[in-house]
Amino acid sequence: MSVIALNDVVKRYQTGHETVEALKDVDFRAERGEMVTITGPSGSGKSTLLNMIGLLDTPTEGHIRLDGRDVTDFTEDELTEERRSEIGFVFQDFHLLPMLTATENVELPTMWDTSVDRHDRAVDLLHRVGLGDRLDHRPDQLSGGQRQRVAIARALINEPDILLADEPTGNLDQDTGRTILEELTRLKEDENIAIVSVTHDEQMVGYADRVVQLIDGEIQ
Amino acid sequence: MGITELLWRFPSAQMAWRNLGRNRIRTALASLGIVIGVISIASLGITGVAIQQQATSDLGSLTNEVTITSGEDSTTAGVTADQVDEVRNVAGNVDVVPQYSDATTISSRNGQEENVSVIALTQANVLYDVSAGESPERLQSGVLLTDSTANQLGIEIGDPIEYNGQMYRVRGLIESDQGFGGGGRGQLVVPESALSDRDNYDSVTIVTEDGDAATEIAAILRDHFNEETHNGEVDEELSITDYSDVQENINSFMNTLRLALLGIGSISLVVASVAILNVMLMSTIERRGEIGVLRAVGIRRGEVLRMILIEAAFLGAIGGLAGVLISIVIGLALFQVLAGDAVIVFEWESARYLVYGFLFAIGASVVSGLYPAWKAANDRPVEALRG
Repeated sequence: MSVIALNDVVKRYQTGHETVEALKDVDFRAERGEMVTITGPSGSGKSTLLNMIGLLDTPTEGHIRLDGRDVTDFTEDELTEERRSEIGFVFQDFHLLPMLTATENVELPTMWDTSVDRHDRAVDLLHRVGLGDRLDHRPDQLSGGQRQRVAIARALINEPDILLADEPTGNLDQDTGRTILEELTRLKEDENIAIVSVTHDEQMVGYADRVVQLIDGEIQ
Repeated sequence: MGITELLWRFPSAQMAWRNLGRNRIRTALASLGIVIGVISIASLGITGVAIQQQATSDLGSLTNEVTITSGEDSTTAGVTADQVDEVRNVAGNVDVVPQYSDATTISSRNGQEENVSVIALTQANVLYDVSAGESPERLQSGVLLTDSTANQLGIEIGDPIEYNGQMYRVRGLIESDQGFGGGGRGQLVVPESALSDRDNYDSVTIVTEDGDAATEIAAILRDHFNEETHNGEVDEELSITDYSDVQENINSFMNTLRLALLGIGSISLVVASVAILNVMLMSTIERRGEIGVLRAVGIRRGEVLRMILIEAAFLGAIGGLAGVLISIVIGLALFQVLAGDAVIVFEWESARYLVYGFLFAIGASVVSGLYPAWKAANDRPVEALRG
């Protein structure tokens, strides 16, 4: 069973008096242990599609299934719970909280669950992404590549089924980007998760198991 | 680390605390408004208390008295010794001073004359404070004279005064500015024995702790002595006068004053909470993307809301605490100057304004945080992430 599946998804926006169709009858699925990369020119609907997969946005038409469950009509609070337990996010600008240490940033998504202590897992994840010696560093004491590794560790803290990456190498140089991609590839297998990424980066396409091209809201 | 470790168990509080630490200058400026607000409320409240205490101690010498004279329907002229005993029984544990009154003229060595009222009583110290000499507990020989009259006539302590054909030595000079009343005429206080040939006392003065006690005792005495007859009229055996009207007026004036002072204080706290609203709104707008990330990684709306509300509450608490500390210093100084006793500030009567100020500060801050918190928590993560 696909961990995430979109069926005939349509997304329309109302901008002024105009209706923009950002996604047109999109079918998409991703399996565990697979890295899918979505490419396409800017304005093609890549981010919208990623937001749908990440349950941050709801479709105008069509259905979204997470692990076989139809989550299309979930309320915002129900979607929040799904994101909390099933999904990890990596952003282009890392989006770490400046006042928290690396470990605390990794723990952040589970911080409000006082019943489970994810501290050990946070430390373990940081060791696995090569930051075992940077546990108590704050984001401004880390390089771009190191920050993205912290972000990746944060995305994995809740043991998600899906990791979504929006231009994860976009703010990194070629070499650092490559190490991040190798990291993701390794984690994909170790954790048996689906990784869905959006990118312009040719290098990234090379690491993908499958590439989906989106133009004008349609999958080619 | 102490406070941070404690807060770790309360994630919203922990995050709120860290967020405040990010921009210390802004946090300090936002709390400064609250500090000023709390100082205004607390110190104006305390000032009200200090003024009231001062006024009560100035005017109290009159309003805590009950004066008893013979009533309209009395069968005797004056107040009898039996009636005095009865008053003592009914009034309980207060000073009851029966007295005769008269008038006389005192002349100085150079022939200058001055009319004075004469009061004959025993417990002089209950009714009279002296500026020089003594006010005896039992006045058996010698007299007291109002100091302004003594000044005018050039009479000093130890000088002889003739009254009713007898010579008395002046033992004390009465402070002339006691209460209001007295009619500006000087008073000569003589031993009871000087007029003991009279049958009944002219009046009885009861001195109580404060105005409220005086009002209470006056009512009890009226009940006791002045029975209502069957045709609805009151049989007035004794005329009992207290100054409850005056006391009431003073109290109501003081309450108005206090409310006015507190009102002025509250305005500054309202201004302070607008400042907090502004700061919280700015800081949530600034952190919009960050809050979007929190929401994206599965932090619930309620958790975001709580975090920002606690941030506002912390601002209020920090400002409130500083404000309370400064107000205590102001209060100490105020009471030292006005009442000569600085520690009165810690009595509940005035200390409660410190508590009110602190609670008001936190309340106002949380109310100010409501809108920014609600706005941040309900921002759609997709849009918040876009920045």
